[in-house]
Amino acid sequence: MAFRRIDIDQYDEDIYTEEEILADAESGRSIDEINSVVDARATDVRNLLTRGNNSDALTKSLEDPPYGRNLESAKAKNIKTVVDVLNQFRANDIPTAIKGLNLDQQDVLMKYLYAALSKPEQFNSGMILNWHEKLTEVAGPGSIVRVMTDKRTVF
Amino acid sequence: MSNTLRPYLTAVRSTLTAAMCVENFSSQVVERHNKPEIEAGTSKEVIMNPLMISRNENEQVLIETSVNSVRISIKIKQADDLETILCHKFSRFMMMRADNFVILRRKPVDGYDISFLITNTHTEQMYKHKLVDFIVHFMEAVDREISEMKLSVNKRARTVAESYLGQFM
Repeated sequence: MAFRRIDIDQYDEDIYTEEEILADAESGRSIDEINSVVDARATDVRNLLTRGNNSDALTKSLEDPPYGRNLESAKAKNIKTVVDVLNQFRANDIPTAIKGLNLDQQDVLMKYLYAALSKPEQFNSGMILNWHEKLTEVAGPGSIVRVMTDKRTVF
Repeated sequence: MSNTLRPYLTAVRSTLTAAMCVENFSSQVVERHNKPEIEAGTSKEVIMNPLMISRNENEQVLIETSVNSVRISIKIKQADDLETILCHKFSRFMMMRADNFVILRRKPVDGYDISFLITNTHTEQMYKHKLVDFIVHFMEAVDREISEMKLSVNKRARTVAESYLGQFM
């Protein structure tokens, strides 16, 4: 497009911009509200974990994930919450834990697995890859496709 | 195969299988053009979320998908300077001959050592599962290849040093 000096498409009224795509994903809550929800969930999950209730902690951590723009800190915190729960499971318990989730929760879990895999300096990839393998066996490639196509990202 | 390599390759395999659902798609911006949307980047709505799979900080795969093309970038393990050089030469050797490798990209994406670009034409001409196999096999083979080259460089250096220094005995 070197011959075109002006991007005429920006004057097109029907043009579909990235802003629009991402705005669709927002929940309408303020950033502070979402931050407090994420913090509260992190505390709840920690309480469940100290009581040894791993499967409840997993479902709790996958509830209502923060979606949308400008939520980097809330998102990072929620990823940490989820990965902390995943760390508590022994390798043999993973398939049972995944079978206890419904389809939506499985999709959210898949999103968080990819979020954790993109930060190898922060999380232990070996454990996440193990979860990924088990989850793919249950949820299939469709779940991965939903992670790719869903603009409501978790990281 | 080591303990973490297998789940890593399994994850890459399943993600690639999911990502390679590409179809013919003409450019929305330029009439009668048909280009890989992931490279052109002119319409944001046909580009999907990039996924990254990592084994550790030094071994990562980035899979970027769009409606008609998939770009796969691989970061190869480089433990020391010698491996960095070998890896650079090896990937350069192949990328200079990219036409023969069909899906190889001539330049790697920033931050990665080697990239592949698979378009809808490739998935139509070739079997999708074989393409996935090729990428996974490549990742498996490249580590072995580089460590073998490293060994033979060291061996050669030792032989050269021995025969040269042998004169002064």
